[in-house]
Amino acid sequence: MIRLTVNGTAHELEVPSYRTLLDCLRYDLGLTGSKEGCGVGVCGACTVLLDGKMISSCIALAAFADSREVTTVEGLAQDERLHPVQQAFVDAGGFQCGICTPGQVVSAKALLDANPNPSDAEIREWMVGNLCRCTGYYKIIESIRVAAERSRA
Amino acid sequence: MAHRIVGQPVGKLEGLGKVSGQARYSGDVTLPGLVWGKALRSPLPHARILRIDTSRARDLAGVLAVLTAQDLPNILVGRRMFDMPMLARDRVRFIGEKVAVVAAVDPDIAEEALALIDVEYEDLPAVFDPIEALQADAPILHENPAAYEGAPAERPHPNVQSVLRFKLGDVEAGFREADRILEHTFRTQLDHQGYLEPHAGVVAIDDAGRVQVWASNKMPFRLKELLSQALRLPPEQIRVNLTPIGGDFGGKGSLMDLPLAYHLARVTGRPVKMLMRYAEELMAGNPRHPSVITMQTGVRKDGRILARRVKALFNSGAYAAFKPAPSVNLGGTGMGAGVYRIPNLLIEAFCVYSNNIPCGHARSPGEPQMVFAGESHMDMIARELGLDPADLRRRNLLRDGDHLANGHHLEHVRASDTLEAALKASHWAEPKAGSWIGRGMAMTHRHIGVGFTNARLRLETSGAVTLSIALPDTGTGAHLVLRQVVAEVLGLSLDEVEIELANTDDFTTDSGVGGSRVTHTGGRAAYHAAEKLKAQIEAEATKHGIPPGALAAIARAAAKDGRTLEASHFYDAKAHAAVTSFTAQVAEVAVDPATGQVTVRHFTTAHDVGTIINPIGHQGQIEGGLIQGLGFALMEEMKTEDGRISTLSLGDFKLPTIQDIPPLTTVILQDPVGPGPFNAKAIGEGSISAVAPAVANAVADACGVRILDLPITAEKVFFALREKVAR
Repeated sequence: MIRLTVNGTAHELEVPSYRTLLDCLRYDLGLTGSKEGCGVGVCGACTVLLDGKMISSCIALAAFADSREVTTVEGLAQDERLHPVQQAFVDAGGFQCGICTPGQVVSAKALLDANPNPSDAEIREWMVGNLCRCTGYYKIIESIRVAAERSRA
Repeated sequence: MAHRIVGQPVGKLEGLGKVSGQARYSGDVTLPGLVWGKALRSPLPHARILRIDTSRARDLAGVLAVLTAQDLPNILVGRRMFDMPMLARDRVRFIGEKVAVVAAVDPDIAEEALALIDVEYEDLPAVFDPIEALQADAPILHENPAAYEGAPAERPHPNVQSVLRFKLGDVEAGFREADRILEHTFRTQLDHQGYLEPHAGVVAIDDAGRVQVWASNKMPFRLKELLSQALRLPPEQIRVNLTPIGGDFGGKGSLMDLPLAYHLARVTGRPVKMLMRYAEELMAGNPRHPSVITMQTGVRKDGRILARRVKALFNSGAYAAFKPAPSVNLGGTGMGAGVYRIPNLLIEAFCVYSNNIPCGHARSPGEPQMVFAGESHMDMIARELGLDPADLRRRNLLRDGDHLANGHHLEHVRASDTLEAALKASHWAEPKAGSWIGRGMAMTHRHIGVGFTNARLRLETSGAVTLSIALPDTGTGAHLVLRQVVAEVLGLSLDEVEIELANTDDFTTDSGVGGSRVTHTGGRAAYHAAEKLKAQIEAEATKHGIPPGALAAIARAAAKDGRTLEASHFYDAKAHAAVTSFTAQVAEVAVDPATGQVTVRHFTTAHDVGTIINPIGHQGQIEGGLIQGLGFALMEEMKTEDGRISTLSLGDFKLPTIQDIPPLTTVILQDPVGPGPFNAKAIGEGSISAVAPAVANAVADACGVRILDLPITAEKVFFALREKVAR
C-alpha cells in the first residue's frame, strides 16, 4: 500500500513492488499525459516532478513516491488556464507530434521555478535530458524564452 | 496576392491537448477488459525452429493466450511485397523476428510469460553484408521470392528484392567524350527514424463483430486494406480510428503488431494492447536502409558533367515487407543525379536480402543516402579538377526545361538562385576565423507529394464551420494548415473552423500522410470543398435575402428547410507537378586536431518554396528535418555485429540533444508556383538530405580529410588525420 499525492489529490493504492511510477500514473490513476519513450530514463518523455524535482518516472518505482507529492503535466494548468509555459509552447511552436511535450513542459516549468530568467545556455543545460525528434529544439528554446519573458512582464 | 490568414504566423493552436497531456495517442487508449500482448523474438539471425514449447507460459496465472505460427493461418504480410510471416513459421531470418505472442492481464505478466517459452533452434548459415549476399555461394534468405505477392520480376540473384533503374542518354558514349572519369564509393549507416513514440496499437472486436483499431499508423485506409488482406476479413468489418501519432518520419505506415493483436483479441475475447518497447523498435522496427553507393562521373576539364553511372546496394534485411512503393525499392535513388543536368545517366539500385533487421521508409526515403554520396562526390570532383566547388555546381545546375532521372520535365527551376542565396547568407567567400575551420556546401531538391485526400465541410447553425478529415496528426501542423485554408476561402476567423477527425467508415479511401503530400492534397481538398460551400452559402443567402456574411442566420434558415449546408471534395493528384523545391546548405565546422571531434559552428539552409501557409509550422519542418540530418551526419548509428544490434537503447543509439544544435540561418525564397492551395509547395522533406554532405565537405575543407562513410565520428576523423600525417 502506498500513499501519494498527485497534482494535489491524495491517493492510496496497492501496487506490486515492481510497478514503475510511470505505469502507476498511467494505468492505475489514468493519467496518460506522461509518456514512455525510451523506457530507460534518457529521453525525458516521462518526466514528472517529485516534491518539485524532476525525475524520470519510467525508472522510478511507484513505491519510491510513497508519502510524496507528484506533479504531472496534467497538474500544470490551473482552473482550465494553461500554465504560462504550456501557452508559450503553443504560441511559439515548441512541439510538433507532442509525444515529448508533457516532459518538455514539466522540465521547463521546473527550470523557470528554479531560475526565472535563464540564459540560452542555461536553457540548453537544463533541458538536455528531454529529447525531441520533431522540432530540432530551436522552437523549444524560443518557447521557454517567451514563457520567461511573459512571467517577468 | 495578400491573404488574411494564410501566411500568418499563428501558433500551434491544434496542440492544446498536447501541452496539457489530454491528447490520447494510441498507446493511451484503454477499454474495459483490456489485456496486453507481447511478442517473443528470435535471438538468432538465421535458424530453423525445431520445436516451441509454450506449456509453462500458458500455465502462468494471468496469461490468457499464447500463440505461435501453428495457431495462425499461413498468410504473409507486407505493404507492397508480401514476404513476411506474422509469426516465424519453421524458420527465423533476423534477430528480433517474432516467434510467439502472449496475451496477459498486465504487461509485466506478459513479459514474464515470454521468458517461460522454450524454443529450440538449429543455426543456419547467415549473411549480413549486401555485397556478400550477392555472391554466388551466399546463404539464401528466401527460396522463391518471385512467388511472393507483389514481388518485382527482375531478380539477378535470389537475394535481390528489387532493382530500380533510371536511364537517360548513353552513359558509355558520355564516358568516351570525358576528359576524366572519377569514381568514389560511399557508405551510409543503419539509422532509426527516432520517433519517440514506439509503435502502439489497440485492437478490439466489438459486440457487432467489427474490428476496431487504434494504431500509430499514418495511412488509415491503407491500413484497413492491408488488415483486411492479412486477416481475411471483409474491409467493411474493420474500422481504423484516428489518434495523434507520436512522430512518423516515414516509419509509421506498416502493420507491425496489429495482426497479432487481432488474433489475440479473437482468441481471448478481450481488447488487446500491444506496445513495442524502444529496444524492440531498435531491434525490429523498420529503420532507414544502410547503403553502399558507387558513383562514377565523366567530366570535361572545364567541369561540365557528361555522364554518370551510379550503383547503389541497399541492405534491406530479412524481408521486403516494409517498403510501400510499387518498385519495392527507394524512390530517392533518382537523386543519384543530384540537382544537375546530366545528359547520360544510369542509376541502378538493388535492395538486397540479408539476415538483418528489415528496413523501411524514413523521411525522404533513399535521398539522404544518395545525396550524401552525390554531393560528397561533387566536391571530390571539384578538388580533382582544381575547381571551386560552387563553380563546378554552377556549371551543371538544372535549368528550366531540363529532365530529371525519371524523365520528369521541370519548370520554375530555382537551383541557381537557391545556391547563390545560401552562399551569400553563409559568407561563403569570406575568410574563415582560423585554421581547422572549414565550410562545405551541398544541394538537393524534393518533389511536391501526390496522393488523394478528402475534406468535408459543414456549416453549423452557430455560424462556425466543421472540417472533417481522415488525416492523422503526425505533428506536422497539417490540421492547422487546412483550417487556415478553409478560413481564408470562407472569410472566417481561425477559431470559426473546427476539425472533426473522421475514421475509415466516413470516407471510402484516402492516401493518408507522408511523401510531402498533405499541404498539397489535403490543402487542395479543403480549398475546393470550401469553394463549394461558399457557393452554397451565397445561393442560400440570396434565396432568403440574408447578407452572405451572416453565416449563422443562413445556416438556421437552411435548417428550417430541413437542410444542412455541406460540401465535400476528393482531391486526387496522380502526377507530380513540374516544379520541385530546391535546397542549398552550407555548414561551417571546426575540427579538433587532438580528438577528431567535429563541431558545427554555423549552419545555413536556403529553400526555394511556394506560398507559406503557416510560417511557424513551415520553419518547424525545416529545423526538425535539418537536425535529423545533422544526427545522420554526425552521431546516429545502429551498430550491428553479425545481425545483432548493440545499440539497443536511446542511451547507446544517440539522437541529437538540445546541446547539439548549431546557430542557424534560414533563407527563404518564395515563389508562388506550387500545386498546393494558394500555390503552396512542400517543405517536410526538404531540409534533411543535404546536411550530411555539407558537413562532410566542411570537414574536408577544415582538415583535408575525406570521410566516405557516415556517421562522421570523432574516431573516424582522428584516425584519418593520423593516417594523413603518416603519409
